Amino acid sequence: MTPLLEVSELHVSFPRTGAPALVPVDDVSFTIAPGELVALVGESGCGKTLTGLALPRLLPRGAELGPRTRVRLGGTDLTHLDERELRQYRGRRIGMVFQDPMTSLNPVMRVGDQIAEAIHAHEKVSRRDARARVLDLLVEVGIADPPARIDAYPHQLSGGMRQRILIAMALAAGPDLLVADEPTTALDVTVQAQILELLDRLRRSHGMAVLLITHDLGIVAGRADRVLVMYAGRIVESAPTGQLFAHPAHPYTRGLFASIPRLDAETTRLTPIRGNVPRPDQWPDGCRFNPRCPVAIARCLTERPPLDEVAPGQRAACWVAQADAR
Amino acid sequence: MTRSGILGIALLAALALFAVAGPLVGPDPAFQGDLVRGTLLHPSAAHWLGTDQLARDIFARLAGGARVSLTIGLVAVLVAAAIGSMIGLAAGSLPGLAGRMVARCIDLGLALPRVVVLLVILAGVGEVPPLVLGTVLGATGWPAVARLVRGETMRLRHALFVGAAEALGAPPGRVVWREIFPGTLPAVLVASTLGLADAILLEAGLSFIGVGVRPPAPSWGNMIFEARDYLASAPWLLIAPCVALVVATSAATLLGDALRRSLQPDIR
Repeated sequence: MTPLLEVSELHVSFPRTGAPALVPVDDVSFTIAPGELVALVGESGCGKTLTGLALPRLLPRGAELGPRTRVRLGGTDLTHLDERELRQYRGRRIGMVFQDPMTSLNPVMRVGDQIAEAIHAHEKVSRRDARARVLDLLVEVGIADPPARIDAYPHQLSGGMRQRILIAMALAAGPDLLVADEPTTALDVTVQAQILELLDRLRRSHGMAVLLITHDLGIVAGRADRVLVMYAGRIVESAPTGQLFAHPAHPYTRGLFASIPRLDAETTRLTPIRGNVPRPDQWPDGCRFNPRCPVAIARCLTERPPLDEVAPGQRAACWVAQADAR
Repeated sequence: MTRSGILGIALLAALALFAVAGPLVGPDPAFQGDLVRGTLLHPSAAHWLGTDQLARDIFARLAGGARVSLTIGLVAVLVAAAIGSMIGLAAGSLPGLAGRMVARCIDLGLALPRVVVLLVILAGVGEVPPLVLGTVLGATGWPAVARLVRGETMRLRHALFVGAAEALGAPPGRVVWREIFPGTLPAVLVASTLGLADAILLEAGLSFIGVGVRPPAPSWGNMIFEARDYLASAPWLLIAPCVALVVATSAATLLGDALRRSLQPDIR
């Protein structure tokens, strides 16, 4: 199957005067197939949010893409489009859902109007038709009593409902790819599950691919087809969800699992990964996980491990894992 | 809304009622008394606030002045809000050099002393009807609004919901008009209410020195000017328009402050 999205050598840098550029996303490559739900997992500061923003080129001011970076969506390279052309892709082809459902909604605009804006941005439709479609969208994202909610202001809705409104906005123009950046982080646990179920259901009914960006491996388990694990600006492991949970190959991934509380395990103490995530200006040479890695060998300190296959469908950027696989 | 805000609204409403209905309940504004025995009469049942040096009823003239002052003040703040909002939005949202140029124009407008500009214009064109005077006042009052709107626009540009709208492909013009502009309105409303006090005071000042509303048309400013000569013999001539001026400007300021307190925390 030809991929829907093909990201190769994604490189996001912040040039600085008098110091080497910061490179919070360094040589990230991955693909997403149509209708696939891919989770991008990593700790704060690993570059996962920037990776999501880089797809429709919504980078913060001062950020630059690398010269070899390619982001192909359905065969078109987005890295060479101008702003006007990019707007045809933003929303229309790539929908975005952000973390904080309060600040991502305009406090002085009725939620129905905000969803309608996302339609008007791409199509010439009458107000009446737009409103009818907004009502359909509200039903689709599971808002109870849409005719009553369509004219509500954001502060009149709960966090979960606001997140559903944001998802409806992202769906409004019928995108092929939905990028959801920590869509459940600001929500209660029970609501988190509902939102994830909604995303999963929508991608099945619309045939829409989803890139789910999260720091929480737990929410990935039942939903994602594939998991990308990111550490210090690079993808360190990529595997189908079942395979990753059964046999994590990269020591960082194993460390993540060891630090998640489990109900079924014998031991009661968690094993945290020692040390902290290094800052982007202090990334070590070789494998960036080497100072915290329990199995690091000499080669890890000097040579960067490529993201190579360690099992069918599973790739890990780790010299040790690759040696074991052979 | 605080109690002082409600007081402000009540006072402004009372003034508006006074401007509209004053001539109906009080003595006939066209009343022209006996120039020999009817001048400088004390307040009485026939003339609630007395009469002036030309035997005109002060209550009626005060109502006429209220009509002039409130009309000019309202027109001035509406014109200033309209011009200032558009220029402020442009300054805050146009990218690069264009936005900076517009911002410098606002600075230039702020740097020009308003009273001097008004004196030059009004001395040049001579007597103008109240609506035109209000428009001229508004046309010199926009820079303050524009600076405020520019700041709000720049703040809102970085709001997440604006980023969210851009992420869904909203074109820049639509983002500014639909997402940012409504968010600037509370600040404009506050500034305009406070600006109403300024405009009323400015109109009175200009009329006092003779370039605003000119006699025989009544204005609180020219009433104060004419009352000067009779300060010792007929102080009610001076007191009535001065009190009206203080009430009007205080009311607008109280309401403006109350609006600021109740609106500002809501816009994040």
